[in-house]
Amino acid sequence: MKRQVRDHQILSAVFAKMDVPAMTFSAGILGSLILFLATAILLLQSVPADYPVGAHLSALADYLPGYSVSWSGTIVGALYGFLVGAIAGFAAAVYWNLAHYVALGVMLISSAELAD
Amino acid sequence: MQAANHNVNGINLKLLHAAIRFNALILGLTAGTLAAVVIYFATQASIVKWGSESGNYLGLLAIFFPGYSVTSSGAWVGAFWAFVYSAALSSLSYRFYGRVLGTRIADILLSTQPSENPVLKPSVLRLHGVSLGLAIGAIAALGLFLSTSWLVVRGTASDSVHAALLSHYIPGYSVSIFGGLLGAIELFSFVFVGCFLLAIVYNKIVEIRHRQS
Repeated sequence: MKRQVRDHQILSAVFAKMDVPAMTFSAGILGSLILFLATAILLLQSVPADYPVGAHLSALADYLPGYSVSWSGTIVGALYGFLVGAIAGFAAAVYWNLAHYVALGVMLISSAELAD
Repeated sequence: MQAANHNVNGINLKLLHAAIRFNALILGLTAGTLAAVVIYFATQASIVKWGSESGNYLGLLAIFFPGYSVTSSGAWVGAFWAFVYSAALSSLSYRFYGRVLGTRIADILLSTQPSENPVLKPSVLRLHGVSLGLAIGAIAALGLFLSTSWLVVRGTASDSVHAALLSHYIPGYSVSIFGGLLGAIELFSFVFVGCFLLAIVYNKIVEIRHRQS
C-alpha cells in the first residue's frame, strides 16, 4: 500500500534548496570528464600524418591558457573542465537558492498584506 | 472528472502541477541569467583580447542570434538571445522532468526527509537521474535537430563546416535532416548518461553531507 504523500511533502520538494558544495563538485566532475573526453576522442581518431588534429578545439586555449589538443592537454583540459563546471554548478546552485528565497519573500509579504 | 484527477496515489495533483510550474519558472530565470552573463562576458573578453579581429568563432552565433555581433552593443543582443533560449529550454526541461517524474515523485519525496516547515526551513534537493537524463536529453536532442534543420532551411548546410565537425563526437552526424535526426538520437544518449552521472555524484555527496542531520 502506497504511503499517502501529504501536501507539505510536495512543498518540501518545491522549496528544497540545492546543496551548493554537492552541485559544485558534481558539475565540476562532469565538466572535467567532458573536456577530457572531447580532447581524447580527437586524439584517438586516425588522421593522415601532418594533419592538424583539433584545430578548432585548440581555440579554447584563447580562454584556457595552457590547453592544447594533446595527451598532456587532456589533463590540463580535465582540470579546466573541473574549474569551469564547478563555477557553473556553484553559480547555478546559489542562484537557484537565491531565486527561491526571493520568491518566498515576495509570497510571504503578499500573504501578510492580504491578511491585513 | 476533475475530482478524479485531483488526487492520484495520495498526491494533490493541482498542488504538484503548480509546484512544477513554479520551479520551471525559477530554473528558467536561473539558466537564462547565467547564459546571458556568459555570452556577454565572452563577447567582451573577445573584444578586449582581439579588438577589431575578434569574433572569429563567436560571431557564428549570429546564425541563431539575429542581430548579434562581436561588438559592445552586440554583447547585449547576445545576452538577450542567450537568456531567451536558455530560459525557454531549461524551463521546458523542468516541466518535462516533472512530467516524467509524475506521480512517482512520491519515490523521491519519501527518500528525503521532508521538512516540517518547508517554507522557512527547506529540505535538501535530491535529483532523479533517469528523469533528469530523459528531460535534458530530450531537450538537447530537440535543440540539435532544430538547429541543424535551421541550417538546412536557410540553405547554408553545405557551408556549415563548423557544425559538421560535430561528427567527430557524434558518428553519422551531418548537416542534413537525416544527419540531424541521427545526431539527435545519439546526443540524447550522451546527455542522458551525463545527467545520470551528475545525479549520482550529487545525491551521494548530499547523502554524505546530511547523514548526521
